[in-house]
Amino acid sequence: MVDSKEREIGTLNIVMLALAVLAVGVAAWNVISDGFRAGTDDLFLVLVCLMLALLFAVPTLMWAQANGKLTNPFADEAIPAGAADTGTHEAHGGSDKQNTIIWVSLLALTAFEVLLAYIQVPITLMLIVLMGASIIKAALIVAYFMHLKFERLSLILTIVPTLVVLLCLFAIFFPDSFRLRDMRPQEPVHQVEHEG
Amino acid sequence: MAEAHAESLAVNDWSGGVHPYRVGHRKLGMWLFIMSDSLTFGALLIVYSYARASSVNWPTPFPFSPSIVFSSMMTLVLLSSSLTMVFAVSAAKRGKLGSARKWLLATMVLGLTFIVLHLMEWQHLMGEGLQPFELPAEWAEKWPGASPLFGSTFFGITGLHMFHVLTGVCYLGVVMARIKKMKEDVEVSGLYWHFVDLVWMFVFPLIYLLSVDYHNLLGK
Repeated sequence: MVDSKEREIGTLNIVMLALAVLAVGVAAWNVISDGFRAGTDDLFLVLVCLMLALLFAVPTLMWAQANGKLTNPFADEAIPAGAADTGTHEAHGGSDKQNTIIWVSLLALTAFEVLLAYIQVPITLMLIVLMGASIIKAALIVAYFMHLKFERLSLILTIVPTLVVLLCLFAIFFPDSFRLRDMRPQEPVHQVEHEG
Repeated sequence: MAEAHAESLAVNDWSGGVHPYRVGHRKLGMWLFIMSDSLTFGALLIVYSYARASSVNWPTPFPFSPSIVFSSMMTLVLLSSSLTMVFAVSAAKRGKLGSARKWLLATMVLGLTFIVLHLMEWQHLMGEGLQPFELPAEWAEKWPGASPLFGSTFFGITGLHMFHVLTGVCYLGVVMARIKKMKEDVEVSGLYWHFVDLVWMFVFPLIYLLSVDYHNLLGK
């Protein structure tokens, strides 16, 4: 009974790792063979492959860590296996002081974004930096204000990867916007306005 | 005994045990709602980016002062309302219902302030002649060939967000009125409120900060 379960886990781990390696392989093959010639499409394909690789690798890495085959490089204090099981909500969430610090950092990041808007940065760079800052802000809000950091890992793994993958999938349509812009005739702008 | 053993075995895996999430059904429901709602906003923001990237020109009508300063104030108000919400949740958890009520009230007041400020902003833009499917004549001259979709994306996204804030204020009102029966709901409503704040963290940079009018930095 135990043997078969272990064998099952071992097989699953091998399958997951193989899939992760395959995904990295596809990303590498795309970069080598195409060298980002297709622009955003290539970038998107590479990012999706790397993300899939990460998703496939995570369960195996977690299994390795739980079985002492891998020491935790992040050394977190969030979810000690026993403490999460007490069922009380006493230690649930950060202190008021911690939350105030998070609030101040959110304000600081916002101030930084507003400063960027003031000093006039090229729009592509601006977009990248703004999105980076916003993702950090969102992560802080979700982790501390919404207490997700203090929930069980199973809940975190149900919510976060799903959302990230789905939101990235939306972006599939995005490169099409450049096609639309570049194929549009230059002149008949006025007609469009009258129709609108 | 056997059950405890089974639990301790499973807990090591993803710390789930026999209760994979160990949250109440309300909280789980709220998280599921938040997931679907973030996809709604995600879709809208992608639509906005698509419309903007596919247009030959896009209006950047916000002078740093007053528009950006004004919307930064709105951001400050909304972020602060998140902090008061956090205090409300922690007070409710400690069983200090009176204090939780006061913090909830503060959150609602800040939420309403946000709505009022936002409506002032809307009124200002509509005063300039901006409509959902039409740009003001002055803008059309200033940004030739600009897409008339500016108005629909702007009003659509900020309008839906404002509707969420308004719903949140009502929700918090109900929770505050029935706090004795709905102690757990303070935390659940907190999740909703922080989510509304989180959405603004993407709306504010994408809609406002990327549309600064550099030819008219300090307004007219």
